[in-house]
Amino acid sequence: MEAVLKNVASAVELLAVAAHSDAVSQWDEQTLSRAFQWAGYCEHVYTRFHTNSAIRRVVEKQLQHTNATLRDAFADYNEVSFMDLPRCEHLLLRALLNNPQLPISTIRILFGLKNGTSRRYHYQEVTGLCSHLIQCKSACEVLCPFSGLSTVSAEAEVQGEMLMKRLGALLSQGSDPSQAEHFLHSSLPLCEGAARHSCLVITAALLTASDSAGQTSSQSFLLDWLQKEHGVLQHMGSTLPSAVLKDLAGAHRKFRDAYFGTLKKWASEMEYSLSDGEWVPACTAAAPALSFPKMVEHFSDLFDACPSLRRNAEDELLHLKILDGDFDARGLSVWGDILSEVKK
Amino acid sequence: MTELQQPLSQLQETSGPLLDAQKMQFWMDKAVAWDQVGSAQTLKDISRHLRGLTDFLQQVLAQISNTGSTAETMKELPCLGQILGRLCWNPYVTVGDTNRGLLLQCLLGLYSENPSNALERKANQWIRKVLCRLATEDDDPAAQILMKSTGVPPKEYHLRVLKKRCLFPSLTVLKLLLSFALCCNVLGQSFTDALSEDFLDALNSTDLRLAVDETALVSVWYHSLPRLEEAVLDLLEFATSTGSAPQNLEQHISKTQLPKACAQHCSMFLVVNDIFRSILKQAEGNLAVHSVIQTFTRCFLKELEELQPRTAASLKAFFPQSPTSLLVPLLTLPSEMPQEAWKNHLEWLTASLQRLAEQEEEEEGDSQSSRGHHNVFETWFLLVQCSHWVQVAGELLVTSEAEPCSNLLWLMTFYYHPTNRWHCRAALLEEAKEAWRHLRTLSSASARPLPTDHLQPLITLLSLKPQRPSAPLLTLSLMVYCAIFCQLPNSQSVEIFQTVAHAAGLLHEAACVLNSLQHRLNEGSCSSRDTVHVRIKKLQSTVTHMQAGVNPHTPHNR
Repeated sequence: MEAVLKNVASAVELLAVAAHSDAVSQWDEQTLSRAFQWAGYCEHVYTRFHTNSAIRRVVEKQLQHTNATLRDAFADYNEVSFMDLPRCEHLLLRALLNNPQLPISTIRILFGLKNGTSRRYHYQEVTGLCSHLIQCKSACEVLCPFSGLSTVSAEAEVQGEMLMKRLGALLSQGSDPSQAEHFLHSSLPLCEGAARHSCLVITAALLTASDSAGQTSSQSFLLDWLQKEHGVLQHMGSTLPSAVLKDLAGAHRKFRDAYFGTLKKWASEMEYSLSDGEWVPACTAAAPALSFPKMVEHFSDLFDACPSLRRNAEDELLHLKILDGDFDARGLSVWGDILSEVKK
Repeated sequence: MTELQQPLSQLQETSGPLLDAQKMQFWMDKAVAWDQVGSAQTLKDISRHLRGLTDFLQQVLAQISNTGSTAETMKELPCLGQILGRLCWNPYVTVGDTNRGLLLQCLLGLYSENPSNALERKANQWIRKVLCRLATEDDDPAAQILMKSTGVPPKEYHLRVLKKRCLFPSLTVLKLLLSFALCCNVLGQSFTDALSEDFLDALNSTDLRLAVDETALVSVWYHSLPRLEEAVLDLLEFATSTGSAPQNLEQHISKTQLPKACAQHCSMFLVVNDIFRSILKQAEGNLAVHSVIQTFTRCFLKELEELQPRTAASLKAFFPQSPTSLLVPLLTLPSEMPQEAWKNHLEWLTASLQRLAEQEEEEEGDSQSSRGHHNVFETWFLLVQCSHWVQVAGELLVTSEAEPCSNLLWLMTFYYHPTNRWHCRAALLEEAKEAWRHLRTLSSASARPLPTDHLQPLITLLSLKPQRPSAPLLTLSLMVYCAIFCQLPNSQSVEIFQTVAHAAGLLHEAACVLNSLQHRLNEGSCSSRDTVHVRIKKLQSTVTHMQAGVNPHTPHNR
């Protein structure tokens, strides 16, 4: 274990040199190749130990120590965390390309064309590395506009998988569930612009058929988290197309119940506007909010997707209508109006 | 830059027509228009101009290399920076190897090792920034957050997205995309298993194959054997289904990219040859197939030459079953040695082949030794691949003054009839000699009318006889060689040819022989006298005329 820690420390130091030092101007092809091999080593360390919380803690301690030393040595030093280890190659590349001391000859190697038949370069892994990266990204973009067959894009699906995989790893370590929740919070931001994206990722994660017990428990954890986070559910309700929401409700009972709860909360925050002749979200209601017709549509879709929910739900809505005074006239009880619309 | 030391004529050759302001403006407009990628119109326009873009970038690169300094280049090509800057970010330009490579080379070429003014220093900074952003930045901030929190590096992320995308694109969409030289070799072996069958089929379909970037094709073939086989069978079908062996066979074969693919991957060449072997066994005497194999091998050797120096060891990898001692001698082209050496070379070849064939016969005995048969077959297969030597033998038979040519005849007999079932080779050789005698007489007689007492036996020889083994194809090619290389005036040789070929009905086969001979002559690997070319052309047109007048179902047609 000591050897591993020493190696990780050396690799992190190497990263710092790559980013900040003018020593890179002396790097030849062999040095470059070895640097990338070190990066590969770090990725390997992560893969082996990321599910082992004890070892992870030890490595993190080492990283803290190394970060402290390097902070003193280099101004603008960027700390390296445990979660940076699997992306070491990317970090090394970014460090090098941003270092103005990197000689143009080295850049040429990195951007050279990777020719599968050429045996001229001994250091295959670094030659044309950047060219290959650009090709990958371009290929993704080229195929992008044509993923129209499914509502959830390939990106969202892959991101959903990434999310679930990491969540599964965190849960299997038996660590504090708050750590997993923190992970979900940081991965799925709900601020302006990012909210819709996060909703798509969650959808993809939940709609992927679960093929293992681990995956099922991850999905379950995610659903529990959703139930607590009304904000997320509200975003999902307002941004996702109803067909998708139907699928989600049909696939997961927890989602169905949580979503039903959200709809009810939305409904309870509605006020009747005499001037509009319609139910509208109260100004105090938390954004985002739905219009009344939209909300009715969501209720209908939910009942269509989950017939088993329908009867109990209708009873519940009826009960709420009675509590409101059991009026039949429009505008007096949101529950009554919803019921009458849904029953049509 | 060392290119400055090149002679001026060479410089002008590489740069082609100079880039003028009009051209620069054209590509500037294109680069701006293409920034609005997304509409089907834009995509169509891009695909239409991709090859033109390659030419343009090559010219730019040549100009950058030829001009001494970046400052000079920027003065000569004013919007260059903007054009390159925009094209870099267009995924349709950067997805294909060729354009991406040229673009990067242009950028790197503009970098000044020793910047001498502010412009060059600024250019250097800009180039570094662009390259860094191209390789490390991501447009999608939300995806970046997830990548960071889940510990997935960008390369892995993009590869996984790509895998997913390839699983369900619709066929119509694919056809549009494939015109963008989409490279499949981005994805590795394990991935190709997951590729949707539709995607692979579309990539492999004949009408698209010629338009797709060769690296993509090679990758598909390399990872999917059935598709390689399909491509080879398509080629064979093309070559053998047309009325007569196509005259632009070599061009067609090159365009399929198959020879190039085989030169890059030994395993593919082995597979292609396996297909050729089995076709040969099924279609005995099909000269069109012989043509394809010969031409394919020639194209393959040319491609191989480009990739690596030819050594005996490297050749052995591509021809593992062929007898090692014969490899280099047979693969050497006649054009690669002086004409005077041909006869000796052929004598040596024939002697070796005879030895090999006799060994097989010795081992035969009661039980047929399969190893012996195998060796002879492989030797013969190599000979089919290197038919140029058989053609030289035919030519020498006619043109050499000296009489003893029994070994040349043996070679030709072996080529057309490799198997020695019931020891028929001796009988076939006798027949060949007889045919040769008749032909010799006919071609040396200068008096009119033609000696019919020699014509008729020839025609008889050319017809298939069920009772005893016969060699119509051998006789036919002897006749064709005679017609081409003999000293008789054109009119007479054509007349002999016409009479005999017509009576025997072997027009298709005659055309095959003529076409493959013409291919070799075009290479200049034969004494390329103009008279020979003229003679061949005359004979070809004769055959075409005859074919037009004759019923397509003559007895000897395939």
